[in-house]
Amino acid sequence: MNASVKLGIVLLLSLEISFTKSISLNCLLVISSLIYLLGKKINLKNFIYTACIPLLPAFGSWSSIYFYGTGDNHHMAWVMFSRIFAYVWLGATLTLTTHIDEILKALEQNVKLPNTFVYGMLAAFNFIPKIGQEIKTIKIAAQMRGVTLHFWSPQIFFKAILTSLRWSNNLAQAMTSHGFSEGAPRTYYQVMPIPTWNMGVALCIILIVQLYLMYPLWP
Amino acid sequence: MQTTSKPGGWRLRDVILLTLIGIFFGFIFWAWAFVYNAIAATPLKPFANDITIGAWLMAGPMAGFLLRKAGATTLGEVFAAVAEMAIGSQWGASTILSGIIQGIGSELGFAFTGYKAWNRFGLFLSTLTSTIVTFAWDLYANGYGSYHLGMLLTLLIIRFISIGFFCGILVDAITHLINKAGILK
Repeated sequence: MNASVKLGIVLLLSLEISFTKSISLNCLLVISSLIYLLGKKINLKNFIYTACIPLLPAFGSWSSIYFYGTGDNHHMAWVMFSRIFAYVWLGATLTLTTHIDEILKALEQNVKLPNTFVYGMLAAFNFIPKIGQEIKTIKIAAQMRGVTLHFWSPQIFFKAILTSLRWSNNLAQAMTSHGFSEGAPRTYYQVMPIPTWNMGVALCIILIVQLYLMYPLWP
Repeated sequence: MQTTSKPGGWRLRDVILLTLIGIFFGFIFWAWAFVYNAIAATPLKPFANDITIGAWLMAGPMAGFLLRKAGATTLGEVFAAVAEMAIGSQWGASTILSGIIQGIGSELGFAFTGYKAWNRFGLFLSTLTSTIVTFAWDLYANGYGSYHLGMLLTLLIIRFISIGFFCGILVDAITHLINKAGILK
């Protein structure tokens, strides 16, 4: 399925379940996502990770509403419990099957996201491994002068911004000198059209969810 | 220096800069996220949530102050959210949704000044609007609507202190260092 369509569905449904209070809908979304991911044959480790990771925050939400909530708090506690699983599993249908590069490139072609944004972000993502290293360097350099930097010290952010300014300048220059021109029309090596059936499936999913909310089988 | 000006005044350098800042800030708070996750697994979750929230909102106002234009705060926060997703956030695509809400919340304060007051007053307004917008969102999305009034007020105050510290005092201190260094024209 096209990545833009998938992102659209996931965001819409996540937004919708933020306001609805249907436990069964949340469960159905989790089960559907589970079946979809099983069909995509993602590896077992990721699968178990995604199954376990929502447990702790879901328990936190459930227990805090159970203990501190008022009114219909028992129902709401389970709504929150199931909602957190639904958020994570809906998100996983996208993130476990589609790489971020593919999502951004699809958005460029399908919703005309300006290429400045697409390639700017992609370029920055390549620095992810270097950024962890850079923060260690900043901290150690400060320690050599007898200063310990914490996450509340303005200096560590200042240094991070200095580095970002330098890297972004260099990277933008390098990209321009390699022929990247902002806003210019591009041709695509990998064309990502949205097939009609994708739109059909998206429409069906959204419609079914609305119908289910109107005529729920369970609370 | 990159000179092409497209689109809507957004240059390649700006996009890379904001994304890098988003990743940097994410990494700086990384160690803290474990503490949050530990507390978030208990009934104290809403408190953990509101004490730490300011840290996740910082990329927005920082971006606004660096670029000083409409949309910079929201986009800065959204870029940070996409970066978080790229690194592998446990929340997957939902991260983007909260990024948009938080970005708009922080942006509103600067918008109310007509994007003219890039000073402590604008920053104060921004912390105020982001507190209100994110809290309103959590009333629905995080089930805060179920808590009794006393707890809601306590949470609101804790949230304002957290956002006030990270997005107000800390951003102001960083801006001061940047201005003193004279690196931004």
